[in-house]
Amino acid sequence: MLTVGLAQMDCRLGDVAANLEQHLEWVERARQQGVELLLFPELSLTGYRLLHLTSRVALRIDRSSEVERLADAAGEMAVVFGLVEEDAEGVLYNSAVLVRGGRVEHVHRKLYLPTYGIFQEGRFFGPGDRLEPAPMADRRFGLLICEDLWHPGLARRLAVGGMKILLVVSAGPGRIGSGEQPASHEVWEVLTRSTALVNTCWVLYCNRTGWEEGSFYTGGSHIVRPGGEILERAAFLEEELLVAQVDPREVDRLRWRLPLVRDVRDDIQGPGF
Amino acid sequence: MWSPEIIRARLELNAELASKALTGFIADGNRSAGTEGMVLGLSGGVDSALSAALATRALGPERVHAFILPYRTSNPDSRADAEAVAAEFGFGTRVIDISALVDAYFDADETEADNVRRGNLMARARMAILFDQAKKLGCLVLGTSNKTEILLGYSTIFGDNASSLNPLGDLYKQQVWQLSEHVGVPTQVVAKPPSADLWPGQTDEGELGIAYATADEVLYLMFNQGLSIDEVIDIGYAAETVRKIDSLERRNRYKRRLMLIARLSDSAINLDREIPRD
Repeated sequence: MLTVGLAQMDCRLGDVAANLEQHLEWVERARQQGVELLLFPELSLTGYRLLHLTSRVALRIDRSSEVERLADAAGEMAVVFGLVEEDAEGVLYNSAVLVRGGRVEHVHRKLYLPTYGIFQEGRFFGPGDRLEPAPMADRRFGLLICEDLWHPGLARRLAVGGMKILLVVSAGPGRIGSGEQPASHEVWEVLTRSTALVNTCWVLYCNRTGWEEGSFYTGGSHIVRPGGEILERAAFLEEELLVAQVDPREVDRLRWRLPLVRDVRDDIQGPGF
Repeated sequence: MWSPEIIRARLELNAELASKALTGFIADGNRSAGTEGMVLGLSGGVDSALSAALATRALGPERVHAFILPYRTSNPDSRADAEAVAAEFGFGTRVIDISALVDAYFDADETEADNVRRGNLMARARMAILFDQAKKLGCLVLGTSNKTEILLGYSTIFGDNASSLNPLGDLYKQQVWQLSEHVGVPTQVVAKPPSADLWPGQTDEGELGIAYATADEVLYLMFNQGLSIDEVIDIGYAAETVRKIDSLERRNRYKRRLMLIARLSDSAINLDREIPRD
């Protein structure tokens, strides 16, 4: 069993120092509840809608005292948080970092940068080009950022590659319609649940809350069991630390009766690629 | 596939969720600006009543400062309705008559001015007073313009459309009515015909020549869904009405893109340097 925490928090746009203090508090809260794996939302250390502030809050992961403090604070917990990463060449990425035991264990650079509608990421970030497992001792997770999940080939590759738990961190802007849940959230649940169904894996979706520049984030972070059933869901439009137990063995038990991942083929001729 | 019934259903909101979100918007705006609350003009109409109700939910009645700003020709019912709204939600009001301020200019220098010019100055006098009171009280000016009137340009630029925060600007008029009922705006305010009350007998729908229900539906199809004029007419809306709404929307775009700066450098404000205000 693995005790996981989803830190559904608000972030202060462009204020890394204030956000870092918040992260350290949430890490402590999570530790008190026995959390072993804690997720923060996309760009949690900087806020999302940075536009031309993006370069001003960028951090070099190997030289950042903020990253170091979080890595130290994590202790034996694996903590995933988001930041604007600057690489050695000065290129900026929308990255999620996994720290544990004082070390940076994994960095995922967002692969698909939405640049349409309200989204402007392609103007400010370079796209990542690597998909790798995120390690925690002898466990391995899939880690994707928001739009990455909308391109289902990534989750499929991670599942085929042996990942049984998919972590998705997000800053999903909210919309409200007539439904019981925010319209934006309904769409996300279709996606997370269908991902958990067709890949027969756990999906842990951590979204943020709060307002930035006239746009809000829905919250509604949730955990989907292998097969698509919602295990737990956080509140909408408010902060919450959602803690739950995840059993990786559930994946195997489902796959014995629903061997979709085992049966994946890459040898079928026809259109597309 | 589109019909007025389907469009009206699409415009329905989960009122509790929408109110919760907009309440959060006001609270966050107040926090991030470090201000003491909200100042707004309370006209007696449904838009300002809803803004005030949301601000009261967000900040408590003591942080909502409502100003009733009548001109000498204003309908006395407007003031009574504004006071009923304040009584319902428990925030204080202050009445400041703008007649002397507005008349001073026209009587001295512009006696021939028509209703529209006089109405515009009234709207700007109210704006000037609200921003002055906001400065005095350490508050933000809370906007009350809805999506229908913003898109149709049914507003005075730098007058009633000026604000620091606008919680209603993504709500069509019928969504304003729906949320107003949900948060408990007095029935007589929700039910009465909308009016800018800039001259006796004025109503929004009379002046626009379009019913709000129709305007909302046509704007939803064109602005939200991207249908062409002909496609909207084919659904069954009157061609003349659709063309008029389209024309108003085009002609009034300037009112919703404030501060158009001529770019000469590679660091023009808002074009090359989009800096969030949060």
